[in-house]
Amino acid sequence: MKHSKDPFEAAIEEEQEESPPESPVGGGGGEGGGDGSEEGRTEIDQTQEEDERPVDVRRPAKKSKTSVAVAEARNKDDDEEEEEENMEVELTKYPTSADPAKMAKMQTILSQFTEDQMSRYESFRRSALQRPQMKKLLIGVTGSQKIGMPMIIVVCGIAKMFVGELVETARVVMAERKESGPIRPCHIRESYRRLKLEGKVPKRSVPRLFR
Amino acid sequence: MSNTPATAAASSSKSKAAGTSQPQEKRKTLFQKELQHMMYGFGDEQNPLPETVALVEDIVVEYVTDLTHKAQEIGSKRGRLLVDDFLYLIRKDLPKLNRCRELLAMQEELKQARKAFDVDEKELVD
Repeated sequence: MKHSKDPFEAAIEEEQEESPPESPVGGGGGEGGGDGSEEGRTEIDQTQEEDERPVDVRRPAKKSKTSVAVAEARNKDDDEEEEEENMEVELTKYPTSADPAKMAKMQTILSQFTEDQMSRYESFRRSALQRPQMKKLLIGVTGSQKIGMPMIIVVCGIAKMFVGELVETARVVMAERKESGPIRPCHIRESYRRLKLEGKVPKRSVPRLFR
Repeated sequence: MSNTPATAAASSSKSKAAGTSQPQEKRKTLFQKELQHMMYGFGDEQNPLPETVALVEDIVVEYVTDLTHKAQEIGSKRGRLLVDDFLYLIRKDLPKLNRCRELLAMQEELKQARKAFDVDEKELVD
């Protein structure tokens, strides 16, 4: 657990220095996608690092739970993992969709992760909203019987990123209030209010009546 | 005194009719387990508080519902609800838009790979 020079933050600084000229543009397509999503990820991990230092005392107590939870996640998500691994292998064959320089940088960062960082990154990559549940929800909302697979996938992706925005903003709120520990509903509510002000939450033209 | 059995019976039947609301109704959670892993991945503790997970689930369901309603409004102008309606709605949010494009491209690749795999198998059989 020694972060003498903090190689992680050094690698982040290196990446951030070079990233502005390659900022995500719609025309960039795959590469733009790679930039946008990976920049988002590195920012997430940086805030986690700062959070994990004061909370380090609690980590050893929870380690037994983490191994069980991660093992469970592994068993459930084995198929997804295989899919992901295959996808990564395929992506290296098509350099247009994944920048090899970016991938090399990601490799250097990932190799220097601590166990906690790795487990958190693993949860981040592998967690996903379940498609049958989302399909049920979409069918209920639209009223139509058939929902195409691409639509379910897209909505799951959008929802996952929205959860990310909620949780990250909640952590920012906690830092402002100088609190630590698990995120509480009041933080989530404040984070949701801020996202609404930013315009990231679709507004209802008709107020919601019966919950 | 003679009234009490009648009123007791009436009140008991009333309470039976309303009995389903007396014990707390269990909320049907759609994404609870996955949300726990997801929140950990995004910065929460290893085991997030259950009330926090419930609140996030409610917010996400409301978000998806509102987003889908808006997409339907847009889709109704052209006939059917399409994936492009969702992409139009998040056009301002670049990380989401790029991520969706990535997901759709990966799905296309997988579909092509599976189709090629099936074709190879058929050729082997022949």
